[in-house]
Amino acid sequence: MTLESVARKDFRDALRSRWLMGLTVFFALLIGGSTVLFYGVLLKGAGANSESLFGLTTAPGGLFSFSYAGMLGFVLALIALVTAHGSLIDERESGSLKLLLSLPNSRRDVVFGKLIGRTLVVVASMLVGFVIALFAMLFTGAQVAFVSFAGQVALSGLLATAFVSIGIWLSASSNTPRQALFGTIGLYFIFAVLWSTVATGIPRLFNWAAGKVPGIDPMAAEQIVLTRLFIKYLNPLRAYETLIAQLYGSAAAARLFKAGLQESLVLQPILKESIPVYLSGPFILVVLLAWIAIPPILGYRSFQKSDL
Amino acid sequence: MAAIELDGVTKRFGDDSGVLDSLRSSTEADVVTAVRDLSFTVEEGEVFGFLGPNGAGKSTTINMLLDFVRPTSGTVRVLGHDAQEDSVAVRRRTGVLPEGYDVYDRLTGREHVEFAIESKESDDDPDELLSRVGLSQEDADRRAGGYSKGMSQRLALAMALAGSPDLLILDEPSSGLDPAGAREMREIVRSEADRGATVFFSSHVLGQVEAVCDRVGILREGELIAEDSLDSLRDKLESESVLRLEVDGDADLEAVRAVSGVSSVDHDGDKLVVACEPDAKTNVIEAVESSGATVADFETDSASLEDIFLAYTEDDREEVPA
Repeated sequence: MTLESVARKDFRDALRSRWLMGLTVFFALLIGGSTVLFYGVLLKGAGANSESLFGLTTAPGGLFSFSYAGMLGFVLALIALVTAHGSLIDERESGSLKLLLSLPNSRRDVVFGKLIGRTLVVVASMLVGFVIALFAMLFTGAQVAFVSFAGQVALSGLLATAFVSIGIWLSASSNTPRQALFGTIGLYFIFAVLWSTVATGIPRLFNWAAGKVPGIDPMAAEQIVLTRLFIKYLNPLRAYETLIAQLYGSAAAARLFKAGLQESLVLQPILKESIPVYLSGPFILVVLLAWIAIPPILGYRSFQKSDL
Repeated sequence: MAAIELDGVTKRFGDDSGVLDSLRSSTEADVVTAVRDLSFTVEEGEVFGFLGPNGAGKSTTINMLLDFVRPTSGTVRVLGHDAQEDSVAVRRRTGVLPEGYDVYDRLTGREHVEFAIESKESDDDPDELLSRVGLSQEDADRRAGGYSKGMSQRLALAMALAGSPDLLILDEPSSGLDPAGAREMREIVRSEADRGATVFFSSHVLGQVEAVCDRVGILREGELIAEDSLDSLRDKLESESVLRLEVDGDADLEAVRAVSGVSSVDHDGDKLVVACEPDAKTNVIEAVESSGATVADFETDSASLEDIFLAYTEDDREEVPA
């Protein structure tokens, strides 16, 4: 099974480079440390539960659009991209890929073996952080909503995997390490910063075009908001956040998490009645899973075609 | 069955541009033909030396055998498999020492070999392979990032030998090795051939090839210009003498070239260099003299294999235009 041996070799390489150790320390401090701080110092004693920090209903002040899950999503995505974006192109550049492909490893084994290896690196170090967090809550006597917490850990694992997948895609389809690096920075910027502009822009663009072309009706205000929400949750970072919100509340509330006032006013009655399929929890989970499945396939296809 | 079969293989780089490249204006100059209409066959059990100067297309050819690079046209078959479609099947039975590779800096030598054994699903003993290529136990336990070029080369050879492959493809195996290392390399090649393996290896140094090859192919500027056994190349040489003539006056080169048994006429400074069959010598001198020039002095060489290699591969700008 060469897929397995490629993955194992890649994981061992990360172990040797101390990257795994560095990430483990990082997540232990970030997730574990923040939990210790929160439950040990800020919110001591009775009434404390896992939702206080990890849930989304008690975001500090309620005014800021900050959530612990959202912050963790940004960090996980960045770490995953950093871990994965060089995986293939760096080996191609140095020439060790030739050694790897001189052996009976197919290019498919190499792409997906790397995907598994790098995913394990990110997910394993992340898990250490969550385990420390769990123990911190148990020791400080906070009540743990185990199902929600486990769901959150699982979703975090999926998000990390999605961004490792995206990093592998970039690595596999780039011709130089620089290209992979800039592609990574660019994509991260799009997901983390630009996406809401895109989500707002597309319906606007549609209506502008509809105004020019006779026969096409512009979207109604309600449709515009729904479209915007649909596009918003195609972003794996946003999908992750709203799915976590759903672990701690209703689907309708989760979809409107961080929504603007005007948006909420329009959508609340609609979502209360029934949630459209494309905004349902299962659909958004499928979106997140698609971000895991599709990028490595695209990366493999381009890697498969290229001269090394 | 043939171990390696190339049929009309051409490889051009730079004309299969991707989306990004097509945005740039690509000119004819960007397209490089590395290999042109290459056809040859290496039989099973043969030791085949693939010769040519640097940049002749040797590595491109080898990269096509391994599916690192895809031919623009033509077919490549290795061990009866299509080199592109069934590349994994090819590499399962092939040991490769690639060119321009790098080791995994953080893995030890032994881990490299273990990885090769694992990938080939063989039950070789890594230490045995390592000692065969001259790497000690201490070396094997060190991380390969600290290896010298020669040690890396030995390590890559050990990986190539894993699983007793039916075919060994070695790209410039002696590079980075000292003379003693190069000799050990040749001994390994010979013992692999004795085991029954086909060996295909490239070199730009004839001496590396001479001692071990049954047959050689000489590549120049992407084209195969000679393919023969060393013995028959030598016969060809011995059947040819090189005549160096010091000539006063202008000799009629066309007349000299027309003499039967003459294969080439070159200028070397003010000397005339004529390659011909031994018994054509007198006729050559006569032809020069009868064209109105006088032969002041002459000498004959019997060329070495090195000369023929150089003659085949060096730029022939000194050749008199026909």
